[in-house]
Amino acid sequence: MVSQYVLDAVVYASLFGLMAVGLTLTYLTTKVPNFAYGSFVTIGGYTSFSVFRINHVNPYFAVPLAFLLGAVVSVAMYLGVLRTLARRGSSLVALMISTLAIDIAFVGIFGIYSDYIGSFYRIENTKNFFRLLADFSLFGLPGLFYVTPISLATITIALFLFLTRTKFGIAMRASVENPSLARVLGIDVERAYVFAWFLAGGFAATAGSFSVLWLQGGTTFGSGLIVEIFAASVLGGLASVYGAALGGLIIGATEILLTQAGIAVFGSWISIYQKGFPLLIMVITLLLFPRGLVSINWQRITSPIAAFVDLIGDRLGEIFRFVRGK
Amino acid sequence: MDVPTFFLFGVNIIRFLIDLMIAFALYLVVSLSLNLEAGFAGVPNFGKVMFVAAGAVVAGSVSGRLAAFILGVNTHGNYNGFIAQIITQLDSSLSGNAILSIEILLLGVLLAAAIGASLGFLTSYPAIRLREDYLGMLLLASAQLFQIFLGGYEPLIGGTQGIEVPNLFGWAGNGIEVRDAVVLGFLALFAGLVYFYAERVARSPLGRTLRAVRDNEVAARALGKDDVAIRRNVIIIASAISAMAGALLTFYVGAVNAESWTRITWTFWIWVMLIIGGAANNAGVALGAFSFTFLFKAVDQVKFYFQGSIPFDVNWLEYLMFASLLILIIAFRPGGILPEKSSMTLPWRTVAEIMRPKSKVRANLGPKMGTPEPAKSDLADEPSSTPTT
Repeated sequence: MVSQYVLDAVVYASLFGLMAVGLTLTYLTTKVPNFAYGSFVTIGGYTSFSVFRINHVNPYFAVPLAFLLGAVVSVAMYLGVLRTLARRGSSLVALMISTLAIDIAFVGIFGIYSDYIGSFYRIENTKNFFRLLADFSLFGLPGLFYVTPISLATITIALFLFLTRTKFGIAMRASVENPSLARVLGIDVERAYVFAWFLAGGFAATAGSFSVLWLQGGTTFGSGLIVEIFAASVLGGLASVYGAALGGLIIGATEILLTQAGIAVFGSWISIYQKGFPLLIMVITLLLFPRGLVSINWQRITSPIAAFVDLIGDRLGEIFRFVRGK
Repeated sequence: MDVPTFFLFGVNIIRFLIDLMIAFALYLVVSLSLNLEAGFAGVPNFGKVMFVAAGAVVAGSVSGRLAAFILGVNTHGNYNGFIAQIITQLDSSLSGNAILSIEILLLGVLLAAAIGASLGFLTSYPAIRLREDYLGMLLLASAQLFQIFLGGYEPLIGGTQGIEVPNLFGWAGNGIEVRDAVVLGFLALFAGLVYFYAERVARSPLGRTLRAVRDNEVAARALGKDDVAIRRNVIIIASAISAMAGALLTFYVGAVNAESWTRITWTFWIWVMLIIGGAANNAGVALGAFSFTFLFKAVDQVKFYFQGSIPFDVNWLEYLMFASLLILIIAFRPGGILPEKSSMTLPWRTVAEIMRPKSKVRANLGPKMGTPEPAKSDLADEPSSTPTT
């Protein structure tokens, strides 16, 4: 039997990987940190919740719907607010505040929605609900243990193939790296950005629809996850979707494992500081290597180690020869 | 003695005004401090709630313990556990002791300022090194973590349940609304001082330096301004001011808990006031804070009429309303209602003195300004290259 904290670590890591990939996609295109991103996650959560509690359908069937809803809302936010404001020449800070405003608006929308379904369908606890007990079990382990890592792997590989093997994917990379040059080459940069936001919202909502099977949900549960989402994206460098996936994996796993280790060593009070670990990683990343994991010159770190190993090998060889010669 | 009542349309206007002005004073202080940071110095603080909450929490948890220590109330070694009993004893002792009450009040506020300043000092380390977007993410995430910490760490303020705070205005008597009126007096004094200070800073050479650092860091540095130290000091002062506001709010409410310190109430609403009113303009921010508070309280008064007819809580509409208002302001009036004014430089007397021929000031300014040499314009003498037909 696998311990609960290993399950937690795997599921958390995969979910944050998914969310960080989406956030990074939005940051790549608009260069504005999207504070409303957590609400996209909540959209997915409420989709699962509604489908399960109103229609009594397994939340896994809600995933495509969640993806679509999140994606459409995300595109609407990009076209309706961010692009409009950016074209009017709003500053970076103004754009950041506008994403914060959208997040607050979403809190209102989720509040209205939860009140509405609560009174209309006579469902209790619509504003804060316990995790949905609808997960299937395979070989004695919860389904999410398989589904979330597979989703993250599929999405990352699909993104890789899309960005390197398809014409539109390559055009999208060009639009991100050098929009002016891409425009000169006749690439529809706007279409690429809209598609990036479409995917980002979809990924967030997908992760959200999974996460209510594992975590408590509610009107602000997505906004509460932004500590981890930002930490994961920053660790990944905010410039690479693969980095973001890796960052999410690291953040999710370390948060659970370090908290477990802390509880084992210091006692259960350490669990209050659970979200402190991702924040700490984010601070360290920002101060030591602000461009994230992908910017680290691994060769510079690995080559001394390799040289050291070589050196030890040489010395051992010498000793060996010396001993044999004697 | 009671505060008189005056009813209009079924609303007690005096009660409404006292409520409104207390909220306005607190919001004014916090939004002015954000204006110092974000408006003048260009440090967008997306974690404002953290600083206000820090002051509130420290004042709330320390003032009661301190009062219990001074008045010799037995805490049984577990202050939070016996809170209700202790507060009852403290309140009865403090209501007859105005001097001690005010001393504890001032001490609590000063302590909050100290904690706010230290937190600001910590924040300044990343704040002067990171770009706005990274800083925004870091502060927003830190504030979120701080709220989670407050909710989970019970020895401080009892977590989400919260603790009561001794009533430091008990000496005002128990007439209806009298305590609130006294609190309003204190808050108005404090807000007035902060406004005066913010306005002095804005009009001083320091204010111009702040704007210079904000608008062009490299140029300011080239002119010998220590942009790092300036930013750091502004963050420390603004954080201390916000923490003091938090402490005063705690003393007014008479309780403190972790739930009330959300990103919406003390980060977002404050930004809304700043943007509506006009960043880097204290009068604008004051106007923004007043319009926001007035709208908010007015909606509070009327929303019960709608409550029955719609199937959800009317409060949610407030979120939508203010979010849309903010986006509309950013889109159509990015400077706010009262946009930033060009900065005041020298007093007009000095300017007049400089302009006067043979003035001493003018002579001291050196030959360049004193006697303007005729501009050497090579281009003007050259024949025009455009062919004349």
